[in-house]
Amino acid sequence: MITRRMLRPSRLATESSRYLVLVVCALTIGYPIYWMVQQSFKSKYEMYANAWGLPSQIVYQNFTDAISAGMLRYILNSVFVSAGAVVIVLICACLAAYSFSKFKFRGGIVLFYMFVFTLIVPAEVLIIPLYSVVSGLKLANTYMGLMFPYAAGGLPISIFFLKAFFDTIPTEIEEAAKVDGCSNFGVFWRIVLPISGPGLATIAILQFITAWNEFVLALIFVQSPDLRTIPLALMMFQYSYSVDWGPLFASLSMATVPIIVVYVLMQRQFIQGLTAGAIKG
Amino acid sequence: MEAVGIPARRSTAQRWVSRVREAGPYVWLIPALGLFLVFRLYPVLYGMYLSLHTWDGIQVPRFVGLENFAYALFTDDLFRMALMHNVLYAIGTVTGKNVLALFLAVLLNVPLRGRAFFRTTLFMPVVMSFVVVGILWTWMYNTQFGLINAILGLVGIDPVDWVGDPKLALWALMGVDIWKWYGYHMVIFLAGLQGIPVVLYEAARVDGAGAWRQFWNITVPMLRPIIGVSVTLSLMGAFNVFDIIYVMTQGGPNNSTLVVVVHSYLQGFKFYRMGYGATLSVILLVIVIIASAIQIRLMRTEKVD
Repeated sequence: MITRRMLRPSRLATESSRYLVLVVCALTIGYPIYWMVQQSFKSKYEMYANAWGLPSQIVYQNFTDAISAGMLRYILNSVFVSAGAVVIVLICACLAAYSFSKFKFRGGIVLFYMFVFTLIVPAEVLIIPLYSVVSGLKLANTYMGLMFPYAAGGLPISIFFLKAFFDTIPTEIEEAAKVDGCSNFGVFWRIVLPISGPGLATIAILQFITAWNEFVLALIFVQSPDLRTIPLALMMFQYSYSVDWGPLFASLSMATVPIIVVYVLMQRQFIQGLTAGAIKG
Repeated sequence: MEAVGIPARRSTAQRWVSRVREAGPYVWLIPALGLFLVFRLYPVLYGMYLSLHTWDGIQVPRFVGLENFAYALFTDDLFRMALMHNVLYAIGTVTGKNVLALFLAVLLNVPLRGRAFFRTTLFMPVVMSFVVVGILWTWMYNTQFGLINAILGLVGIDPVDWVGDPKLALWALMGVDIWKWYGYHMVIFLAGLQGIPVVLYEAARVDGAGAWRQFWNITVPMLRPIIGVSVTLSLMGAFNVFDIIYVMTQGGPNNSTLVVVVHSYLQGFKFYRMGYGATLSVILLVIVIIASAIQIRLMRTEKVD
């Protein structure tokens, strides 16, 4: 309903300038991404000649080139590594967070803060010793060599978040189950976990995206070409296709569009997961 | 339980049962602790150990005491340059991200048509890989074909060599970083803004306070903790930055975009001076911890109730 008050000149001016700023910002963010995608549907000639317009005809050659350069394999690698990392971190973090949340025990507080404190230490600072550890375990250049460090990196925030999440589950439910003869683990497995969907989903998404986009450790640990994760593959494409942009842009799109689609569909979990630590911290 | 056997054995069994029961909570921690010890705690300690050695990654490390640290702090021009770049990067990106994010969060914090659309769009680069963002922006910044220069050309400005000019490159990279992340900080501020009681603003309006005054005297003080968190996060990010630098410039041109993590990486994995690389990491870690501590203390001393 448009009231007379809303149509007052000063009000209109404020509201329109507000919209203007927002639209401009949205354009500066959205247009480059859109440009990247539509560029991958252009023929090589058109990518130069008509860099900023829409493709005159949709071409799929870039995508087939990217796929024959191995893109599907690299996507699969990323899927494996990210999924593996998520599984590992969920198992470790759920068990630990539940223990911190439900059991009052000496050393519980200490250990919890020990985990959380390491949020200060990012992987970038540990690249050299981590490389040594992973090679020492003969895990260099393997899927597990990435999955475990990724999971370890995600452990602090996951434990922090899941503990807070488990804290919100009323103890009456658990006590009722225990009265019926359920063990601690039984309560966890059969009562608490099934209703923890939202919390687990949030953490799973956060860790998946983090692992999917991770670059430094992948750069260091992966040596064989067919083990490359997507970020490494994109770097390789950038070097080898410095004149031939088609497959490069196609790979960028293949790497990004699925993520964006899932993001748009599950915005709340994404945003919640990625900002979880910040808001609660 | 039947009391069969020697009384001494039974009390041992009982002691074991109670010990297992007591250990209960700790058993749950075993997977997490294992993961943590092997891939987090041990590397931190090992990194500190390595920082006191020379090591090429293959032979046995050779103890050199504080030699690496002395070299880094007093002799290595590249390190000091890299650190200076990190500081500049921190000032630029922390300011850019947080100011922009706060401004947009305030703009977005009203019942607005399409509000969800704006929030979704502005947050989008956050879920993208920095590698994708870096490659995309390498093209945006391209001197001949890039969008940025194309737009500048529309208003008659000559093409600028954003990434190839040593004087501009670091700033160009900062722009990309801000572009990618300000949506993230905006969402954090939005969440904080939701927590500010509307009555405060109404009371201020009744007292005749304009929008600007309301912002400074209500919004900012109430948001202080969140601003603190946001600034800390962006500060740490600025010192630990690697991906975007490596993808877009590898520290060039002429080391004008070299940052400490890139320097450490190159020392360790290109020049095989892993001991020295570890030293750089340790120094960086100490700096980050001190900087964060100072910043947190600064933001906490002015508490508003």
